[in-house]
Amino acid sequence: MNVPFDIIILLFVVMCAIAAITVRDLLSAVMILGAYSFFMCLMWAQLGAVDVAFTEASVSAGIGTILLVAAVLKTTRRTKD
Amino acid sequence: MKTLGLIVSIIAGAFLMYGTIDMPDWGDPNSPASIHVSPRYITNTEVETATPNMVTSVLADYRGYDTLGETTVIFTAGMACILLLRRRGGVRKARR
Amino acid sequence: MDFIIAKYNYLIYVILMMIGFYAMIAKNNLIKKIIGMNIFQTAIILFFVSIAYKKGGATLPILTHADAHGEHAIQVAQYLNPLPHVLMLTAIVVSIATLGVALAIAIMMYRKYHTLEEDEILKAIK
Repeated sequence: MNVPFDIIILLFVVMCAIAAITVRDLLSAVMILGAYSFFMCLMWAQLGAVDVAFTEASVSAGIGTILLVAAVLKTTRRTKD
Repeated sequence: MKTLGLIVSIIAGAFLMYGTIDMPDWGDPNSPASIHVSPRYITNTEVETATPNMVTSVLADYRGYDTLGETTVIFTAGMACILLLRRRGGVRKARR
Repeated sequence: MDFIIAKYNYLIYVILMMIGFYAMIAKNNLIKKIIGMNIFQTAIILFFVSIAYKKGGATLPILTHADAHGEHAIQVAQYLNPLPHVLMLTAIVVSIATLGVALAIAIMMYRKYHTLEEDEILKAIK
């Protein structure tokens, strides 16, 4: 049984997406979203889109996570859902 | 609200899954997206722009105005963030 | 079963889009809604990059040294489709811009109403 590499990454991506919207702490959700962005970056390197992978790793997983963490630290961590 | 949102998203997902039946197979070299416009970029990028990286040549040479509009979008978003998050105490002090 | 093996990438993009859509509609917290919007955009980008892929020995859209001097003819099927990559580069940067503006509006609402839950904000407005 030879499982392709993309199926494993795609399963991790879906698991990270579900965890990011169900966890009850906003800082944990933001961190899981950063992990999601890095798995997506791996997926694009696997698909051959190296420029998109570079941009995702620097812009979306770097600056996006920094913006979200700053917003959560300026507001509140608690949530009801 | 939760069950209504779940129902709406599942209906939208079912429509999109029905739409993927007509898509060409994943990775097919003869799909319409790979035989219509992109061969011109692939064959002419060395002659016309002398750049080995096709993504960079399309981004900066063939579609330079697109990138210019993108920087306009980024500038507008940055100005919107500054105007929203500005503390307004300094203006009142200056008026006094 | 044949359909799933041939097109599993498209099906996973639909599942990611459903997760993001559900988070945008049903979640009560503003930051959770913004996270759902981010997942939605990433699903669309995954769809476009999947279109650009070619099986059968296609490499990255960067010309190798042997082709660079015009000694060999460039085979189109040898390189991936560069056009969706360019469009999605633009889309990633625009998604960061929308994320920044949405977070600025969320911080403004927290400063005014001291909460991020949507129902409490609606109750405070009335």
